[in-house]
Amino acid sequence: MRRTIIFSMILASLILAAAFAVAGPQAPVHSISLPETRVELAPGDGKVKVETFCNICHSLDYITMQPKFSRAQWTGTVNKMVKVFGAPINEEDSKMIIDYLVAQYGAGN
Amino acid sequence: MMRRGFSRRDFLKTAGAFTAMTAIGEFPAEVFADERKMVRFPEKTDLIVLTQRPVQLETPLHYFKELITPNKALFVRWHISQLPTSVDLNLWRLRVGGNTEKELALSMDDLKQFEKVSYTAVIQCSGNGRSFFEPWVAGGQWKNGAMGNVTFAGARLRDILNKAGIKAGSVDVSFDGLDRAPLPSVPDFVKSLPVDKALEDDILVAYEMNGEYMPLLNGFPARLVVPGWYATYWVKGLTDITVLPKQFEGFWVKTAYRIPDTACGCIPPGSAPKKTIPINRMTTRSLIIDPSVQAQLKAKKPVEIMGIAFSGGYSIREVIVSVDKGKTWKEARLGQDKGRYSWIQWFFPWKPDTPGKYTLMARATNSIGESQPFESLWNPAGYLWNKIEKVEVMVT
Repeated sequence: MRRTIIFSMILASLILAAAFAVAGPQAPVHSISLPETRVELAPGDGKVKVETFCNICHSLDYITMQPKFSRAQWTGTVNKMVKVFGAPINEEDSKMIIDYLVAQYGAGN
Repeated sequence: MMRRGFSRRDFLKTAGAFTAMTAIGEFPAEVFADERKMVRFPEKTDLIVLTQRPVQLETPLHYFKELITPNKALFVRWHISQLPTSVDLNLWRLRVGGNTEKELALSMDDLKQFEKVSYTAVIQCSGNGRSFFEPWVAGGQWKNGAMGNVTFAGARLRDILNKAGIKAGSVDVSFDGLDRAPLPSVPDFVKSLPVDKALEDDILVAYEMNGEYMPLLNGFPARLVVPGWYATYWVKGLTDITVLPKQFEGFWVKTAYRIPDTACGCIPPGSAPKKTIPINRMTTRSLIIDPSVQAQLKAKKPVEIMGIAFSGGYSIREVIVSVDKGKTWKEARLGQDKGRYSWIQWFFPWKPDTPGKYTLMARATNSIGESQPFESLWNPAGYLWNKIEKVEVMVT
């Protein structure tokens, strides 16, 4: 079933792409489909929380792209996601997420 | 993962190796530019992926050997994850309203009825070069590829606003596009300009890039073009222009995209600004594109050093080049002038006398005397990067 859906999606995008190529500029309907591949995070306590919550708004390469931040910087970043952008993360989960980020993607302090 | 452990020199080496490989088309399917993955997104070529959702793609430096950056190679940066992936021009309208005499809902055909204006302009992300900041700052970790030089064409924003008729007492004009936030609590990406700025001659609602319609990821069907200013204002997939009788209070202007209110837009590294203002005009920059760090240079064999230079809306008056780590400087020859918003290419003949390691540097100055610092100017969001770049090359 899943394979059929994927196959249909590929077929649909091929047809769309072909339509594009023929129609040239300013075809009335202009469509694309965006690729997204899974970002594998480093194993560690809190990984599942990170995958669950951070992924709501952005792909996880937003984490892996960052330099090795201090605890203060990662805390600031997670707090910004919660307080400024309204990420639905409670205090306990926030703490776990920060600990994970500091341990796996931090400067170790 | 060795992300930040290596030195600037290592970075230059890696980037150079990568650029060289790209140029001769010899890379495997999975290639990493110092661990930065290349992916081909729709209507784009292989670009360096910073993030996938919302998507941020960086242009490999070798594209900047050309005066004009191809549409497929231009960088991509979106802020909130629900991007437009399909646009029906039968349905798309550009609505203009708010504090205006009348409301407009312009179709693409309507938009094309306005006088068509075209020029070449540098489009550059506010955070281009952010990854070079020390201490590090959070945000998209761009190197130098979040920019390009593109010929835009479209209608003057002023002509559109005048058709709607701006009422007296208007203060700001806001711009919204097709992108939407993933949660109601995430602020929609809306930008604004002061009304006087919005009425300047050269601001466009562009529907063409380099003579073609633009890729969806670069703003199809129309985007704002504010030449000389950072691309944060160049709203993509534009749908709403709203004239406001008071200052715009949206998050992406009032809270985000702000710089310290100091002459240099900078503060002591690691400190917090006392007062901030919205980011605006671009700083003056020059880059050395060729030779790259990977070049095989021979003593007594002449080469031509080539690069680009631009500033926030003022022509480049001069580019000076040093091949001895800044001890002595000589003027470079400037290439074709495509106007004050475009970048200009520069060329510098060089014949290294003896084998060894050489540090190449370039420094641009614009027509109002703005130039580039030898030491980086720091701000907490990682904007305005324009430190003089150094390229180390080996001569054998």
